[in-house]
Amino acid sequence: MPDKLNREAAERLSRALHEPSWLVERRMAAFDVFEKLEPPDPKGEEWRYTDVRRFDFDRFDAPVPTEGVPELSPEAAARGVIVTDLWSAARDHPELLEEHFFTEVPIQEHKFTALHGAFLSDGVLVYVPRGVEVEMPLSIARRMAGGGSVFPHTTVVVDEQASLTFVDRFGSEDLSEPSLCASVVEVEARRGATVNYISLQQWGRSVHHFQTQRFTGHRDSTVRSLAVNLGSAFARTQVESVLKGEGSFSEMLGLYFADSEQHFAQRTLQSHNAAHTTSDLLYKGALKERSRSEYSGLIKVLRGAQGTDAYQANRNLLLSEDSMARSIPQLEIEANEVRCTHGATVSPVEEEHLFYLMSRGIDRVTAQKLVVFGFFGDVLDRIRVAEVREGLANAIAAKVEGGQSLEVAA
Amino acid sequence: MSETLLQIEDLHVEVEGREILTGLDLIIGKGEIHAIMGPNGSGKSTLAYVLTGRPGYEVTAGKMLYKGEDISPLAPDERAKAGIFLAFQYPTEVPGVSVVNFLRTAYNAIHPEDQKAAMAFRLFLQEKIDLLEIPTELVDRYVNQGFSGGEKKRNEILQMAVLSPELAIMDETDSGLDIDALKHVSGGVNKLAGPEVGIVLITHYQRLLNYIHPDVVHVLMGGRIARSGGFELAEQLEAEGYEGLAKELGLSVQDIEEVAREEGAS
Ligand SMILES: Nc1ncnc2c1ncn2[C@@H]1O[C@H](COP(=O)(O)OP(=O)(O)OP(=O)(O)O)[C@@H](O)[C@H]1O
Ligand SMILES: [Mg+2]
Repeated sequence: MPDKLNREAAERLSRALHEPSWLVERRMAAFDVFEKLEPPDPKGEEWRYTDVRRFDFDRFDAPVPTEGVPELSPEAAARGVIVTDLWSAARDHPELLEEHFFTEVPIQEHKFTALHGAFLSDGVLVYVPRGVEVEMPLSIARRMAGGGSVFPHTTVVVDEQASLTFVDRFGSEDLSEPSLCASVVEVEARRGATVNYISLQQWGRSVHHFQTQRFTGHRDSTVRSLAVNLGSAFARTQVESVLKGEGSFSEMLGLYFADSEQHFAQRTLQSHNAAHTTSDLLYKGALKERSRSEYSGLIKVLRGAQGTDAYQANRNLLLSEDSMARSIPQLEIEANEVRCTHGATVSPVEEEHLFYLMSRGIDRVTAQKLVVFGFFGDVLDRIRVAEVREGLANAIAAKVEGGQSLEVAA
Repeated sequence: MSETLLQIEDLHVEVEGREILTGLDLIIGKGEIHAIMGPNGSGKSTLAYVLTGRPGYEVTAGKMLYKGEDISPLAPDERAKAGIFLAFQYPTEVPGVSVVNFLRTAYNAIHPEDQKAAMAFRLFLQEKIDLLEIPTELVDRYVNQGFSGGEKKRNEILQMAVLSPELAIMDETDSGLDIDALKHVSGGVNKLAGPEVGIVLITHYQRLLNYIHPDVVHVLMGGRIARSGGFELAEQLEAEGYEGLAKELGLSVQDIEEVAREEGAS
């Protein structure tokens, strides 16, 4: 019998990974926090509509440590770029790891980050030194077996004037047993750096996916994120951009397409902490059959963040009468010289549009495909990694057709 | 008599529970051009929609035979594949879908034997664009979005030219066109016309009929074809309006005006 998510399992993981004592301590502290913390309250704004009060953690087997990190080109390695798993990092780059590990997303943030800290089993650390531009996107694939659990961690630090594109893939076959993923992503863009982070969630059905992504932008940095949700039974994705440095910019894109009984909950934060910061958010989702989604997005402008320019749009397209989408924008503004724009729409596919296309000989499914592509067009056009863009186009087409969800090609 | 392309018999059509067509008969032969005129709200567009299978237009009695086959069970795309085309009176705007992508998808759906790849289709489309003197940039824009009234009409004719249907119905394609556009559109229609093709022109104006000469002119009134004749019927209507004809047919003008008023109000 494999272990469940208990203290012994956490200890065994520590031993199997030969963790130094400070990591063991952190892990066990995280386990204590996990045990103590109540599940997030669905009455609060952040977890509204995601009621996990009765979430049964005992269903899942403890994780098996996963090896493997993205492959780095020899040129990048020669220029000092570090791509390593967390345990090698603990040995080879302890200062770097200690400085950045769980700094942006604290373990005690909520029950799922604590759980993540306690059972961390798959982690990658990327560091790009000052001024180094990594041309080729780095890509990592996270996997999982039925009935199991994974706790992927991604820490990315891009130093001054450097740049990086990172693609985080979460994918599996359709699994018969309920499975769990609790993931944390921490990305730091230092002065003048550019980071492009893409997460592709394409787990098989019956996976419960919880993810917190936090991006910190220092002076004049650019952080672009794309959060894709296509797979799993339930996914909660929290994406936060914290613009700490003057003149920093964040683009936040989201694309989701739910079908059957899938349920996606998405929470975003655009936090403007410094003057002359800009954020541009566009989340778009299509819903089919009996699926549902929630989007709630907060624009927060702290005192002193004058000259903030924040834009937020969430658009939902309903392909069936039984599907449902909710959209809740929120503003908290403490500065007085800001420009904030937000808009949310939930609208069904217009029969009128389908009829017009069909009247030219296009069958209903193909007509729907054209309309859905038309809907996602502006998000797809803004995706800078061609394979991701093309893979998503295929996955969207497969979703409309109702076939097996195709995985975005690597 | 030429071979029959479309035969409509005693057609009754309801929209939202209201009977709009009340026993309409019409026969269109291959190679023929028919004009249908009639007051506002008399049911001309209803006839066009029911032929293309628009949802919500219910046939409660009668038959529509196209090439001898009943088309009522066919979905709109199947009718289009069979060769039926409607140039809409009010073309629909479809956001996010470019004209060229839309048309290529339609062309390939209708011509399984001649699948055109993007480049080949582009060349083929350019020929039609040149023929109709349509601004090329229009086809890279989203379907009808932000098109002027006249551009929308010309886009309908471009689609007709690309898909080369066997039964083309044009619902007031001439309304809102400037003189030059009217010439180009007429040129396009005349180019399509031929011994295998039937054309139905729904129009309010004799003007169009000077460019495209109809074999028969019909008047749709009171939910059916109230009168058919030659070109002189169009001239007569242009001069006298529908009032005289309504009296002659024993239809109350008030009825017609009421319909027209409701139409205007809705
Ligand atoms: N969806 C609908 N709901 C209710 N009434 C409708 C609907 N569609 C059409 N009608 C009614 O059916 C009647 C016929 O309309 P139709 O559009 O066929 O007229 P038309 O002859 O094409 O008029 P026009 O010359 O103004 O284009 C009108 O009274 C119209 O209001
Ligand atoms: Mg009409």
